[in-house]
This record gives sequence, C-alpha cells and structure tokens, in this order.
Amino acid sequence: MIRSLVDFSRIAKEKGPKKLAVLAPEDEEFMLAVKRSWQMGYIEPVLIGNAEKMGRVAEKVEFEIGGFEKIISDDRQAIADLGISMLFSGELDIASKGQIPTSYIYRSIIREEGKSGSGMTVSVVTFWEVPGLHHLVAFTDTGVNIKPDFKTKVEILKNAIFVYRLLGYPQPKIAVLSGQREIGGTLVSYKDYELIREAAASGDFGDCEIIDATSFTDIFLGTKSRLADHSNVNMEKMPHILLFPCLDTGNIICKLDFFLDVTRCSLVATSRGPVCIPARSDFSDNIVEQLAMCVVVSDRMEGEVK
Amino acid sequence: MLRSFKEILEAAKEGDAKKLVVSCVEKRDMDILGKAAVAGIIIPCLVGDGKAIETIIRGTLLASLEYEIMDEKDPGRALNRAIRLIREGHADIFMQGNISHQAFIDAILDAKNGLRKRKLVSCISVFQLPKQEKLVLVTDTFINNNPTIAEKQLILENALRFAGILGIDTPKVAALAAIEQVNLSIPSTLDAAILSKMSERKQFGNAIVEGPLDIDCALSQVAAARKGLQSVVTGNVDIYLVPEIDTGYLLAESLVFFGKMQMAGVIMGTANPVILNLPFVSDESRITEIALAALICRKRGNDA
Repeated sequence: MIRSLVDFSRIAKEKGPKKLAVLAPEDEEFMLAVKRSWQMGYIEPVLIGNAEKMGRVAEKVEFEIGGFEKIISDDRQAIADLGISMLFSGELDIASKGQIPTSYIYRSIIREEGKSGSGMTVSVVTFWEVPGLHHLVAFTDTGVNIKPDFKTKVEILKNAIFVYRLLGYPQPKIAVLSGQREIGGTLVSYKDYELIREAAASGDFGDCEIIDATSFTDIFLGTKSRLADHSNVNMEKMPHILLFPCLDTGNIICKLDFFLDVTRCSLVATSRGPVCIPARSDFSDNIVEQLAMCVVVSDRMEGEVK
Repeated sequence: MLRSFKEILEAAKEGDAKKLVVSCVEKRDMDILGKAAVAGIIIPCLVGDGKAIETIIRGTLLASLEYEIMDEKDPGRALNRAIRLIREGHADIFMQGNISHQAFIDAILDAKNGLRKRKLVSCISVFQLPKQEKLVLVTDTFINNNPTIAEKQLILENALRFAGILGIDTPKVAALAAIEQVNLSIPSTLDAAILSKMSERKQFGNAIVEGPLDIDCALSQVAAARKGLQSVVTGNVDIYLVPEIDTGYLLAESLVFFGKMQMAGVIMGTANPVILNLPFVSDESRITEIALAALICRKRGNDA
C-alpha cells in the first residue's frame, strides 16, 4: 500500500528505469529533474524539444545529454504529438511535460485516445501528501474538463479510482465536492453528487464508498458541529479521492501547495500509460517526485494489463 | 493599515461600543459576546425568548456586563424585530443566531424590510497569513453562486470598499481562474481579463487587478516569472476574486482546514454590518468578526 511520496521514490528505484519522453525540457528546473531522476535510476530519457535550448539548460545544470536519444523540434504541438504518440505506440513507458503549456499535451492525448478507440475520458489526478495524514489524497479533475457534466464526472471518477487502486487501495473512500450551502438553491455540483451516489449504489464504480459529505466542513466536522479551534479537526477523516465540481475549483485548490504545507504530484493515466503533468512553475525536487510516481504507476499499469 | 486579527481587535477597542443585535441567540455565543463586550466593542441586544435567554446568560461573562434583552418568543418575529431595530437606528450590527442561513439571508436581502443597501451583497473571507503580518481577502465565499461579469464587478467593488476600511491604499487583486492565459473556452479567464483591463483604465481607482491568474502565479512571484508573467500583484495579493461559489466556498474551507488559518467573514453591500454564523469560523475568529463589524460602523458610518 502506497501511503506517501517516499513510497513512490523507493519503489521507483526498484522498478526503474522506465523509458520517458520529456516534452520540451528547456528550463533548468525540468532538466535538473530529468538529470536527478536518471541518476536515481527512475528513468531513461528521450529528450524532445529545441536543440539549442535543451543543450544550454543541460550545460547549466551540468548534465551530459550526449548519450541520450534526442528528437529535435521547435513546434510545441509537434513536440507534444510526437511524445504522446510514442507512448501510445508502446515505444515509451511514460511521457512528461516540460516547459510547454499543458493544453498541447491534453490535445495530443485526446487525439491518441480517439485513434485507439479506448473511449477514455482524459482527466488529471493530482495527489497531495498532507502532513499527519497516513494516505495520499487524490484530487480530480485538476486539468482538462472545464465544466464536466454528470456523465463526464462519472468517467473522471472512474479514472481516479483506477489510479488509486493501483496504489493498493481496493475500496477507496470518495467525496464529491460542492460549494453547496443552505442558501442559494441547489447547485449543479450538488445534484451531481446525488447522482453519483446513486450510481455508486448501483455498483457503477465497483467497490468504493461515496461519503456523505460535499464540503471540507462536512468531512472534518460533520453537519452538526462547528470549529471550536483547530484541535478538533481530525485529518484522518479525509477520504482518498476528492472529485471537484469544475476545472477552476480543482486547479485552484490543488495548487495551494505553493502556500500550504503539502506536496503535490499530478498525472494523466491514459489507456497506454501515465503522462506526468508538473506545473510549469514547479521546481526540480517536486518534478522528481512526480516522475517517481509515474514510474510506479507505469509499472503497476503494466501489471494490470498483463 | 491593519495587518493582523490582533490589530483589528485593538482598533475596534478604540471608540464607543456598538450595539449588536442577535435574534435566537445560542448558549455557545454567550462566551463570544461576553468577550467582545468586556473589550468594550459591543453592547449585546438579545431578541428572543426572554426567560430562556436569562437562563443561558446566568453564570457567563456577559452576566456581569451591560446587555439588553427583548422578549419575543416566536423566532420569525424575533428575526424581524431584530432587523427593525437596525433599520430604525436602535442597533448597529446584526449577528446571526440559531436560525437557518436561508431564513437569515432572505431577511437581510428582503427588498422592503431587509438591510440591502447596494446592488449586490457579497461575502468576504478575511485570512491572516501565518508567516507574515498581512491580511488577505477571498471573495465571494458564500452569497453569490455563479456571478456574471457585471456581478463580479460589484463583488470586487464591495471588496475594495472593505480593503479601504482595513487601510489598504492600493489593493492588489488576483482575478483567479484555472490558468493564467486567456482561453476562450474557459469563461473565468475572460471575466478576469475584462476586469484586469478595466483596472488598467483606472475603473477601480487605485486598485491593480491582474487576471486571469492561476493560483500558483497569484501566490508566488517566482512561479509567475517562470511562466513569463511579470506583475506587482503576483506573490503580493491582497484580494483573491474567485470565479464562482464552488471555488470560493471550498477555497475558504481549504485554507481553514489544510492551512489551519483563522478566517473571519464579512458581509458587504448591506446598510449595516452583518455577521454570519459559519461552522468553520472558530470562536476566536467570531470575535474578530464582531471587531470588524464595529470597525465598519466607525469607519464608514454604517455604510457597509
């Protein structure tokens, strides 16, 4: 059972190296992360991007990239298309975003999923490691679906449950979040919560529990009590998966790690393997953790397929 | 400029006590009202079942202080009487007691007998940053579900008025969205861009509105620079304007539960300060809410 990011690092050392396409590692933090992940035996990189920029940042971080496969391209979409198509063709185990807007990568994934006929909805799962909590928390969707309807949320949730089960949790607990308060009528996000609970009761998600809570107050305090002070907040009540109402909410809250004492890692679990989705503002330490997570997820996805 | 909850409390202690009216008061509010009263910030006026109120006051801090009870057994009539006291100028601050949010907000927003003063009433969550002496505001976190661009302008203007009360002369505003680029498929980025352009044209006075900003760019100047974004707002935000209520409510809760931050809520757009009874506001922060309400009374002559 994977309980922390350290677990990912430990297992990635055992299961690596995995072949990884890095899409535009043209920034020092990304190249440094590739260097350190390679040194730790997580990955064997294939570098796709602008030759001059990759060479310059590699030199700055003292990384000898002469021996690695390099594919030279300046076009952002072409870089994304190439790396993702290599993942889908089985040439690679993992693809990772470098200094390239994520929308290009999502577009490439959506095209490849379409071509493969998988029918898979593309969504991002972001893990938080929270101090004092003995499991990782998965947030979804934090990257792709702008305003998902109920059917799309079902698919997003299925993706997250699939990933979470790979961590060794056969019966994850899930909260479907909403800004529902006592005022202002019933929000769409709350109606979706009710529908998802019905779907779960019908067995649509397999063995899991949709908890009776749509807000953090409900989760930590229940519907009857109030916050006296922070000592009565039991973090262990946190479910494994949080389904967010929309992209704005998911993305804004998942990146609070820039402010809070939590660590964030994000990925897209495509039908052919994980795509690592660090933010363009992430630093190398955090990117290394995200790559380790993808190595483990890749390994366990292979196991699932087998 | 006020930079912490402590400074808010100290500032509120200066000047005359304001009359705070609450209908259907609860026992757990007595300690809070007592502490605010002993600090000289308020004189509580409790509207409800007189005998029941006297029973719950007994033995509390408030028992030895100045307070007023108005006997009104029916909760609905007590609520209306409390609002009437405010409207007629007999009280200054209205605090939610043991009454549902819907009934309370409906009473406040009632066009004929309520307390609405401006075109739009909105809620601001005030947080004190843990590592520096700075207050940040997040809005709207409770009232408006899916504000239009016109309503976002009003929500922002309410927040700017409140920032003025805190003494923030040049408020820096992050109009939040999922991404920092304008994307025609993501409505929040368009609204944020429009507000940002309005700010460039000085339509919000001294305020500087930057948007769209994703949260990493808003929180960190370094993160913003890595995305090629240079602004005086990044890493130094006073007001976070959220796209809609799902984000606003859950963001406020996230800062409370994950950030272990104290939050005080403020309602703007009403004729007098109004204090909500939110479950994730700690007892300590409820005293700050009362102090803020008193400050609003003093600094704006009840013009919230």
